Amino acid sequence: MFRLGVVLLLLAPMVVWGAPKATFFWAGYDGLTEDFRASLEAAFNKQSPDAQIQIVPVPWDSLQDKLNTAVAGGAPPDISVVGTRWILDYMATDSVQEVTQYVSKKTLDNINPAAMEAKVKGKLMGLPIAAGARILALNASITKAVPKTIEELEADAIKVNNPPNAYGVFMPGKSHTELTDFCYYFYAAGGNFFEVKPDGSYGKCTVNSPAGVKALTFMAKLAQQDKVVEDNFTTYDRIHGHPLFYAGKIGYVMIGAWVDSAMKQAGATFPVIYANIPSFAGQKPAGLIITDSVAFFTKAPNLKAAGKFMDFFYQDQWKGKFDQLIGFPPVTLSAAKDKFWNTPLYQALNKAALTARPWPLVDGFDTLNTETWNACEKVFQGQATPQEALDAAAADVDKARGM
Amino acid sequence: MAEESLSLRRRLWNPEARLAYALILPTVAFLAAFMFYPIFYVFVMSFFRTNKLSALTKFVGFGNFIDRLQDKEFWWAVLRSVIWTAIGVSTKFLLGLAIAVLLNVKYRGRKTARMAFIIPWASSVPISALLWKLVYHPDFGLLNRTLSVTGLWPKPPGWLGAPYSAFGACMWVDIWIGIPFFALVFLAGMQAIPQELYESAHMDGAGSVRSFFSITLAGLQELILISTLLSAIWTFNDFNVIYILTRAGPADTTNILITSVYMNAFVDRRFDWAAVQSVITFVILTIVSVIYARFYFRQENA
Repeated sequence: MFRLGVVLLLLAPMVVWGAPKATFFWAGYDGLTEDFRASLEAAFNKQSPDAQIQIVPVPWDSLQDKLNTAVAGGAPPDISVVGTRWILDYMATDSVQEVTQYVSKKTLDNINPAAMEAKVKGKLMGLPIAAGARILALNASITKAVPKTIEELEADAIKVNNPPNAYGVFMPGKSHTELTDFCYYFYAAGGNFFEVKPDGSYGKCTVNSPAGVKALTFMAKLAQQDKVVEDNFTTYDRIHGHPLFYAGKIGYVMIGAWVDSAMKQAGATFPVIYANIPSFAGQKPAGLIITDSVAFFTKAPNLKAAGKFMDFFYQDQWKGKFDQLIGFPPVTLSAAKDKFWNTPLYQALNKAALTARPWPLVDGFDTLNTETWNACEKVFQGQATPQEALDAAAADVDKARGM
Repeated sequence: MAEESLSLRRRLWNPEARLAYALILPTVAFLAAFMFYPIFYVFVMSFFRTNKLSALTKFVGFGNFIDRLQDKEFWWAVLRSVIWTAIGVSTKFLLGLAIAVLLNVKYRGRKTARMAFIIPWASSVPISALLWKLVYHPDFGLLNRTLSVTGLWPKPPGWLGAPYSAFGACMWVDIWIGIPFFALVFLAGMQAIPQELYESAHMDGAGSVRSFFSITLAGLQELILISTLLSAIWTFNDFNVIYILTRAGPADTTNILITSVYMNAFVDRRFDWAAVQSVITFVILTIVSVIYARFYFRQENA
């Protein structure tokens, strides 16, 4: 009996050691803490000896590169946070699987149907993890003027601009993984990234439309003529530039739901006003709404364990806390009832969502992202006019999409 | 003839040779699996269209090569690679040589100085690049703070935000990392030159400049050839510094061939284009190596 006990004792760790261990590429959202990641991983692994999880933190700006490398190398993670707009590229190569095979009905039923942007032809290819419209945040100790149009924003930014203590508006001039900063002005000018065919599919790229040229011309004007953006704006991407706002040096910033928690973590104490991102005069209000999802990767070995983890993670105790840390409105119905969300920021996000538009869900989004950013950088560097740069970008996008 | 063939067979297949084959087999197998096969596959891939997972989809012959060679951006990347390598290697060479001369002179603290000069070489390249990224930060970076606080440049630029300064800033980091290699190689070479040669030259009335060119440089000739070749290959293929500092921006102005390969493969997922550029890089470096080898062996035989 004693011997049997010893043998069992020796084998016990092997049971856990031998359990399938799923890998999760965990996006480093602003506001999310390492403590939370570690405690979530430990809590799941403790209560689930037959299915383990390894949560690998990856900075947002490296996530797509790391994921693409892993997928192309045939060793994808079991699950990963993805921008929902990336999913069509992964679907084109059969790299992702339908979520409903691995996540329980109970978890799925608790998700707001409006957040299911990753539902493609009736199949849910990504579990929503974060969704939120982008808004305009004002440092109320610098300005209290809420602009109704982009032209008013420009005029107000000129008024409050007082470098190096305060800059009118934040605008990153360095490319990063999101095309957001061009898109704010592009949508505000009534732009569409692609022609939409009668059957709903996407045709040629129209980033070089008059709306695109207007948006990019305006961005260049803010930086080069009005000089109301931060000094050395071409060295700042979004991640490294937003801390200037948290430090109280920016009047206006177009930003996401994480602003409140990121400000708290940065120790910012100035009052903030939240508003819709305005449109150009004469254009309908049209902000940007972005969703991120968790995708399950076809070639990964432990998808069932990953599904079990997602069921665990999407309980209010964890997902609710996750939402509060990153500041995005909850995608789960139960967590949305928490009084935490009854704040001016959440109200502004809801209001912005009413008129906001998502990214086009299109195969080749990566190329659109890269080429449009490249066009922006060329204009900021004085290497091309907005029309020339965007014409080249549209041509490259069409070429990459075989058009 | 039959005897000769028998002797050759004996030489190549005797117990000692068989043991040698058995001993080198694991290494050969390892190299074949992890070096030769990937290189071979890249060559194959360059003649095919690929999907976004790098699977071969359609044979296109030289189609990918024609496509790349007609692309202006590709030629810009080639030109930047050549400039990057030429300026980088020659600066590293000159500064490395100067430092080696200084480290070869006897003075107190020479050992400490030698150790200090090794630090950039001993540090990992990504960490060095990350540190320099902080140094170049427009607001709180050491460089700009020093320039503005001392009044040398009250409003310094964002070094990584404009084309020429970004290229220069990246190049300086590559140079900073690479100098100790030259310094150490040349220092070792200088210490192998017999002291008597300098004494004889001095007695014959040769000055220090003449001694430097006729004895030191002449004695280092072979090392110069080998070290510049190695450095040229490493510099040409230096991906880390540019990727970490600028990710090939702004507007692709720091995009050299090797970063372009990465961007094509893992950002745009055009693995076929990346393969073509890898093959072209391979060819360029092979040509450079062959030219160097000819020089080297010609000198050795002379």
